[in-house]
Amino acid sequence: MVGGKMAVAVAAASIRERQTVALKRMLNFNVPHVKNSTGEPVWKVLVYDRFGQDIISPLLSVKELRDMGITLHLLLHSDRDPIPDVPAVYFVMPTEENIDRMCQDLRNQLYESYYLNFISAISRSKLEDIANAALAASAVTQVAKVFDQYLNFITLEDDMFVLCNQNKELISYRAINRPDITDTEMETVMDTIVDSLFCFFVTLGAVPIIRCSRGTAAEMVAVKLDKKLRENLRDARNSLFTGDTLGAGQFSFQRPLLVLVDRNIDLATPLHHTWTYQALVHDVLDFHLNRVNLEESTGVENSPAGARPKRKNKKSYDLTPVDKFWQKHKGSPFPEVAESVQQELEYYRAQEDEVKRLKSIMGLEGEDEGAISMLSDNTAKLTSAVSSLPELLEKKRLIDLHTNVATAVLEHIKARKLDVYFEYEEKIMSKTTLDKSLLDIISDPDAGTPEDKMRLFLIYYISTQQVPSEADLEQYKKALTDAGCNLNPLQYIKQWKAFAKMASAPASYGNTTTKPMGLLSRVMNTGSQFVMEGVKNLVLKQQNLPVTRILDNLMEMKSNPETDDYRYFDPKMLRGNDSSVPRNKNPFQEAIVFVVGGGNYIEYQNLVDYIKGKQGKHILYGCSELFNASQFIKQLSQLGQK
Amino acid sequence: MAVDITLLFRASVKTVKTRNKALGVAVGGGAEGSRDELFRRSPRPKGDFSSRAREVISHIGKLRDFLLEHRKDYINAYSHIMSEYGRMTDAERDQIDQDAQIFMRTCSEAIQQLRTEALKEIHSQQVKEHRTAVLDFIQDYLKRVCKLYSEQRAIRVKRVVDKKRLSKLEPEPNTKTRESTSPEKVSQNSSKDSEEKLAPEEYPEKILTEAEPQLGTWGDGKGEDELSPEEIQMFEQENQRLIGEMNNLFDEVRQIEGRVVEISRLQEIFTEKVLQQEAEIDNIHQLVVGATENIKEGNEDIREAIKNNAGFRVWILFFLVMCSFSLLFLDWYDS
Repeated sequence: MVGGKMAVAVAAASIRERQTVALKRMLNFNVPHVKNSTGEPVWKVLVYDRFGQDIISPLLSVKELRDMGITLHLLLHSDRDPIPDVPAVYFVMPTEENIDRMCQDLRNQLYESYYLNFISAISRSKLEDIANAALAASAVTQVAKVFDQYLNFITLEDDMFVLCNQNKELISYRAINRPDITDTEMETVMDTIVDSLFCFFVTLGAVPIIRCSRGTAAEMVAVKLDKKLRENLRDARNSLFTGDTLGAGQFSFQRPLLVLVDRNIDLATPLHHTWTYQALVHDVLDFHLNRVNLEESTGVENSPAGARPKRKNKKSYDLTPVDKFWQKHKGSPFPEVAESVQQELEYYRAQEDEVKRLKSIMGLEGEDEGAISMLSDNTAKLTSAVSSLPELLEKKRLIDLHTNVATAVLEHIKARKLDVYFEYEEKIMSKTTLDKSLLDIISDPDAGTPEDKMRLFLIYYISTQQVPSEADLEQYKKALTDAGCNLNPLQYIKQWKAFAKMASAPASYGNTTTKPMGLLSRVMNTGSQFVMEGVKNLVLKQQNLPVTRILDNLMEMKSNPETDDYRYFDPKMLRGNDSSVPRNKNPFQEAIVFVVGGGNYIEYQNLVDYIKGKQGKHILYGCSELFNASQFIKQLSQLGQK
Repeated sequence: MAVDITLLFRASVKTVKTRNKALGVAVGGGAEGSRDELFRRSPRPKGDFSSRAREVISHIGKLRDFLLEHRKDYINAYSHIMSEYGRMTDAERDQIDQDAQIFMRTCSEAIQQLRTEALKEIHSQQVKEHRTAVLDFIQDYLKRVCKLYSEQRAIRVKRVVDKKRLSKLEPEPNTKTRESTSPEKVSQNSSKDSEEKLAPEEYPEKILTEAEPQLGTWGDGKGEDELSPEEIQMFEQENQRLIGEMNNLFDEVRQIEGRVVEISRLQEIFTEKVLQQEAEIDNIHQLVVGATENIKEGNEDIREAIKNNAGFRVWILFFLVMCSFSLLFLDWYDS
């Protein structure tokens, strides 16, 4: 987070770092933050609304806020007491209610001075409202600074961002693809998306080259974004893309590529059952904004009659970038994760034993000469052991955390037989021969929840070349309703498929094979708390999802019928244009993939894996909202109901 | 990147002002407004707490500036070679040390006082939290400045100890002068920070005092008339032996010194942890006491319940017996 990192000569450097630096600067009264070990403490109060909270919480922990001198952090719309003589930093969205509340604060003279920071640009009229209230409260001098922060997006990982969490129904897949949507509503949705994307590029400090497919929501977004960027660049006085704040961007000679895709290109991936750690946690447990909420049942004991039933503990864990285990194993297949947790546990136990051993050695104190010399050696060892104790405790905490999370995931896997689904879906998506019929799996009573079966069937329906006959369909429908599924999503998918057929051939998913590894050898090797018997150990082979393939074609300038007629926008070019001929013939080094309508961790992981093989290239992944399969099914069924 | 729209804001304030004047809306406008502001400001509770907090911070800032200013001179090792201007005698250094310590103590007392007072009078939860956090910040600041001080003091003491070690191999007169300076320092030393240096200082001192009488007798012995070659040889051997012994003692002392330093460091760490645990143990103790009392009361309640139960049963039994007797009686009466 040091200023020096900004001079890294890669435009698409970690977006997380950039946003964190911007936030820290804001918290430091918009003066660049310099660490001074003998600086005087300055204290302040932070007031945010829910948007601000969502943006800050994945990036800064409470301890870090403390380090920046923040004594209290409060929600804008809560009851706040007046605290005299304290400057307050506000970080809010410029909506009507927020502005009203801020004016109220000014009138009630809650704090000594006010530093107002708006997450996205505030309009002139709202600014005048605040001015009015400030005048009425005679508090104009108290409003020390007003800033537009342009931080209207949430960064979850070093290279992944989401547009919003609070009002995601407004820009969800359902909102965009509703049949009864009006033009004005569509406009508002597009405006919201474009505003966030614009903030994203301002923070990134680069003007991208935009490519999008034709005839989709993505195209609308691209057109608007292009227009907005162009206007801002033309306005030389207020351009956000020039100046020394843009230092890093000037070094790279390449501009990044922004690929805008629509969710409708690939509906199977969000429904897919997955096998990598992060995606599994998102799919199976309650995971958002890097925080996972677990319900721990405190064991099943026979409670005496008449006693209250045992309450389940709710625990929540933060999965942060500091957590090295998480960073390393986010994308690994689940059995690998289980093994690594075991290894870490053993390593930790070994270190613990060493510390305990020292304790027993210290028992002999000055008994003979030999012991004394050993003693001095051991005091050094003891000092090092004591000073490494906090690290050890931290490691233990992380190991516990991951053990709990992995156990919870494993329970779900075993209960719902997710490995079977995963294997089957992989086979469907790669069009290899199926060994079990679909009907068998659907009618199997103890393989998974009705939702799982629905997902499986939808994937099958989406990826078959020819639509199954009516009779077959009826059979499937009956089996599904027997299993207790809701058939609404199917309605919607039928419509979608019909539409997609008209537009173009459905995307294929590439080749993939899965190898079940020797069951026995695995069990022998682990022999751990993770009892993996009955869970097949599947190894993922590299496959490319449709989104990854599109990106590959565009980045490497490969010619492919799918992507050849994508539109091309360059906000820096003087003449407005609709040329589909890219001016730039070189492959791009940095790319940003943005999915309009929602994305998920499976795609993200796929992109990360893809880019790992290429040296010196960076990818950022973004989506308008992040949903897991159950949420997506809900949206589909709502769409299917209409 | 953030855009500063403060100027835009001020411009809108002006626009709104002119607009309101044009519309004739009373804004508390013009001269009244500024008077109002003054009025508004003065009765506002100036925040006794924050002004005192700021005072403490400015004191600590003064201490820090003072230390930083004299740091160069303080640390300067070759002051006895340099010119008069930049030199700082040991006496001055000690003076600085003493002043700094007194200052630090008063500052920490002031912080404690502020803490107890501030938390007493306020009812709002948020203000309490805020004040606790502010006091934590100030204490942290004081700790950092104290670290400055202890660092430079450690450097100085270490240098003195090194000098003494080197000088032990030099002839007698120098050792005497060094030795005389060290007791001074030992007596003036009362801070915890340099406690670890006290012990090593004492050891060399003791050794030197032990060595002194020996040297003294040695000196006397030399004063006699010419010695015979055997005596010279004997004396030389004794010489060697004594030197060997001295070196051994010296090595041992150095080892012990090192160990004591480490032990004191460990000690510091342990005391910190123990103090932390003390608070938690107090908490646990209170909880346990509360729990025992609850259990006692629970026991009492259970006993009463049993008694009531028993009493109730007795009444039922009595009632049934009475009923049956009355039935028998009625039956006998009727027949």
